[in-house]
Formats: sequence, C-alpha cells, structure tokens
Amino acid sequence: MIQAKRLTRRFGSQVAVEDVSFEVGAAEIVALLGPNGAGKTTTLRMLAGLLAPTSGAITIDGVQLTRRTGAVIRSKIGFLPEAPGLWERLTVRENLVVYAGLYGLHEAEKTIERLLDIFGLGSHADARAAELSKGMRQKTAIARALLHAPRILLLDEPTSGLDPEVIQSMRRLLDERRSAGCAIVLSTHNLDEASRLADRVAVIQKRLVALDSPDSLRRRLTTGRIIVRLSRDSAAYVDTIRRFDVTAALDNGVVAVRLGDPNADTPGLVRALVEVGAEILEVRQEVPALEDVYMHLVRGEPTLESGRS
Amino acid sequence: MTRGPFAVLFWKELLELSRNRGALIPVIIVAALVIVLPFGIVIGIPDMTGELLSQDADLMRLTRTIGGPEGLSPEGQVQLFLFQQFLVLLLLMPATGAMALAAHAIVGEKQARTLEPLLATPIRTMELLVAKVLGALAPTLAISLVGVVLFGTGLGVFAEPGVLRAMINARTLLLVLLVGPATALLSLQAAMIVSSRVNDARTAQQVGVLIVLPLTGLVVAQFMGLFWLSARETAVLGLAILGLWVIVAIASAALFQREAILTRWR
Repeated sequence: MIQAKRLTRRFGSQVAVEDVSFEVGAAEIVALLGPNGAGKTTTLRMLAGLLAPTSGAITIDGVQLTRRTGAVIRSKIGFLPEAPGLWERLTVRENLVVYAGLYGLHEAEKTIERLLDIFGLGSHADARAAELSKGMRQKTAIARALLHAPRILLLDEPTSGLDPEVIQSMRRLLDERRSAGCAIVLSTHNLDEASRLADRVAVIQKRLVALDSPDSLRRRLTTGRIIVRLSRDSAAYVDTIRRFDVTAALDNGVVAVRLGDPNADTPGLVRALVEVGAEILEVRQEVPALEDVYMHLVRGEPTLESGRS
Repeated sequence: MTRGPFAVLFWKELLELSRNRGALIPVIIVAALVIVLPFGIVIGIPDMTGELLSQDADLMRLTRTIGGPEGLSPEGQVQLFLFQQFLVLLLLMPATGAMALAAHAIVGEKQARTLEPLLATPIRTMELLVAKVLGALAPTLAISLVGVVLFGTGLGVFAEPGVLRAMINARTLLLVLLVGPATALLSLQAAMIVSSRVNDARTAQQVGVLIVLPLTGLVVAQFMGLFWLSARETAVLGLAILGLWVIVAIASAALFQREAILTRWR
C-alpha cells in the first residue's frame, strides 16, 4: 500500500531524512520510532503529500505521489498531524462536517454520528472545540482522519497526552482499522505503544536504523542468557549451575545463565538441576525490553544482528 | 448535506466569522462613518454656516466636469457631484474593511495549526484561496450594500429634490454591482498572496493596507476632477478589474507554496 524508496529531505543544508526506504502492506501497522528531530514528522508529511522529498519516491496504492497525483492520493489518506488543528470557534460536529465536505463524503451525517458514537464524543458534539479537553480534541482529530474511511492512515503521535482509558480505546480502534485492511503508519515516542500496536517498528534517526517486528528487534540484543527461576536458593543448585556458567549467581531463586548454545544446552541444564532436586518454576530466554534495543540502536551500539553482519 | 470543498470551506469561513462578530465591528463603524460624514459635509455644514456649496467657484467648476441633469438646481448639482464621490468611497469599503480578515486568512490558519490537516485533504489551492477571499468579502459586501441602501434613503430625505433620481443611473448601478465588488475581490486576492507569504498576521495586515493605496489614489484623482468615467467606461473598468482578479487569483495559487508555509513558518 505504501512504498517509500530512498527518501531524502533536506531543508537548506540541514538533512532531516536521509535515504529512508520501507514498505507498508495492507492490514499492517508500522511504528516510526526515534528521538526528537529524528525525521519522523518529516517522513509522515512526505507520505501525506504535504512535503515533496528532495530525492526518492513515494508510491501510494500503486500510484506514484507527484504534484499532479497529490489531490487524488490525499483523498485516500487519513492524516493526523502532531497538533489536532481544530477550528476552535466551530463545534466538534461542524469541524467534522467541514472535513466531510472537503473529502466529498456522501451520507456524511451518518458517518459523523457513527464516529461521534465510537469516540464517545456524542455529548460534546455541539461543544466548541475551544471548550474541549486535550483528550477530546485528539479524539475529534482522529475521528476527522477516519471520516472518509481511508485505506491509509498516517498518525503523528496519536496517543500523545491522552489518558490510559482513551489510549486503550484508540488501540482498539487502530486494531479494527488494521483488521479492515488499512495500512497504518504512526510515529511515537512511546515504546510500549509501539510494542503493543505495531507489526513492525522502524527506528529512525534521520536514516532508517532498523525495521523489524518488535520481537525480532528484541532478539537482536539477546545474548544467549537463560533465566531460571527455582523454588528456593541452595548451594547445591549453584554448584550445578556453575558447571554451565562459572559466573552465574543465584539470587532469591532466580539465576541468569549464559550458555554457549542456548538451544542445545538448556535441556542439559534443566536435567542437571532436576537431578539435584531443584524445583524449577520457570525457564526462559532472556529478552531485553524494546527500550533497551531502542537505546542501543539510536546510540549506534551494535546489536546481535548488526554485530553478526 | 453533501457540499463540494469550495462551498464547505466558504460556509466554514462565514460560520467562523459569525462566531467572531467583533471582527466586523470596525467594518460597521467605517461604513457608518462613510454614510454619515457625506451628509454632514454636503448638507449639515452648509445648513449651519448658511453658505451654499454652489457659491464655491472651484466646486462649481468641478461639478460641470460631470455635466449634471437638466432641471437640477446648482446646489443640487454640487450635491450630486459630491455624493457620487462619497458613493465610490462607500464601495471601496468592502476592500478596506475585509482587508484585515483576508490578510489574516492563511497566516491565521497557520498560527492556529489548522492549516496542516486542511492541506492534507484533496482541496486544491485555488479552491482554498478563493473560498478564503469570498469568505472575507461576503459579509463586508453585505454591509456595504446595506450602506448603499441607507445612503440612497438619506439622499431621498436630505438632499436637494432630484439628486436621488439623478444618482440612480447605469453608472451608479455598475459602480455598486460591478466595480465595487470586483475591486474588493482584486485587493482581497492580493492580500491573500501577502497572507500566504508572510510569517505573522500583523505583517500581513500592514502589507495588505498598502494594496488599498492605488485605489485611494483613484478616488482622490476623480475627486479632483482629473477624470470622470462614463457608464460605458465604468463597465469596461469593472470588467478589466474582474479580469485582473482572475490573473491575480491564478498568481496567488501559483505563489502559494504549501511546503514553505508548513515548514518555514514558525
């Protein structure tokens, strides 16, 4: 649905985005992750047809984005900018009515009522945007982006400043849109959100640092350690474990064991512990938090994959 | 319910203005002054001083340049000449009154951060700019037309007999229905260029005011009797201004740089 090929965007001598390529398929959510100034918003603006890339090409739904095709492509995209951008003197409903007209929507009334209902905005429909809370404004802006049932959604920090309840309903909605075949690109600082929502995460720091599923990204930092949780501490257990890893230390029944080949060595470790009478509660591979992976990537530190290559 | 992008944006402009009536108060005050002042100058002062305008040789010379209708008294002829001048001022009022609204149109959207989602829709630049111009023009034009009706009523009540009838002619109708609105369209479209090229609303307004200067020059030149347009010439002028508006509208769309507006304005 979305193809970005070698996108570069310069502002004068400053490079905002450099040589970024990725694809987003139908029914897929890709999260753009990166520190402030990494080029996430610029990338989204280029995909939305608001900024032309200095070099590179964007294809949306099989059509290359150019000045000539811009209007047609924009009609297929639902775009949520960083700020909600509501007309403050207009009510929630009026804001949506104007955008329904801008998208040439038929049966706009029904659609607007449905979205007001989905976002719990019904009781605020006739309130002016200036009177709304930050969360309500953000919900209105998202409803606006969904008005024309776009096949492509570009969302710049959609859950920024929202309370957990609203964030949860937002996640449900994005899940629904994905199930309906929507291609969704969202930018976020929130690693937990990226991890929960996205099928793939694109870590950007002007360049594309990594693009993979959250699980695969985590595995890049996996260092071959196995976490074993036992019912209690015992010197006998420590001796057994140290036959596999001399540096291992048992603490409150939990031990991290570095194995040469976790797949081959883990059964032997488990057998040895059982033989000395250990009650094993849990054995799992150590998987770092996405935050750790992210910090490694944006600091340019090697991950397992980049170390291998 | 379904409206096109242009119509819906025009409706939005009017809706926003209706919720911000304070923005129209200066226009109403200026209109009231432009209506009341001529009667004070042309009828009130001569009444108070007892000196007729027709006793002024210079005024009579200027009055003869337009050639008043038969049967109108000398005082009526001077009144006709002066009221025609003031009518032109009244017709320029939409251009000047709406200038602040037009100058604020794009830069205001940018500052309110409403421009980015708007530009992400399929709306074309020309639709956006013309809707903005008409949104600023329509209310001030309506105020101006109400002003013209009040002006005419005042003429019927206070002016010399025959002045009102003499005013109602093809030239006046062309001025009211063609030249006035066309001039306003042209200057507001030019203001839209300013609004889309500057960084803040104050600059837009200050530069926008400069656009009115040539129009004011025209009024002054006519007032000094340097030229007087016949009905045919008025029609040609109106059509020429309309043509110029089309050119300026195309230029304003060409000069509207979506990217620069989104990225360079801070």
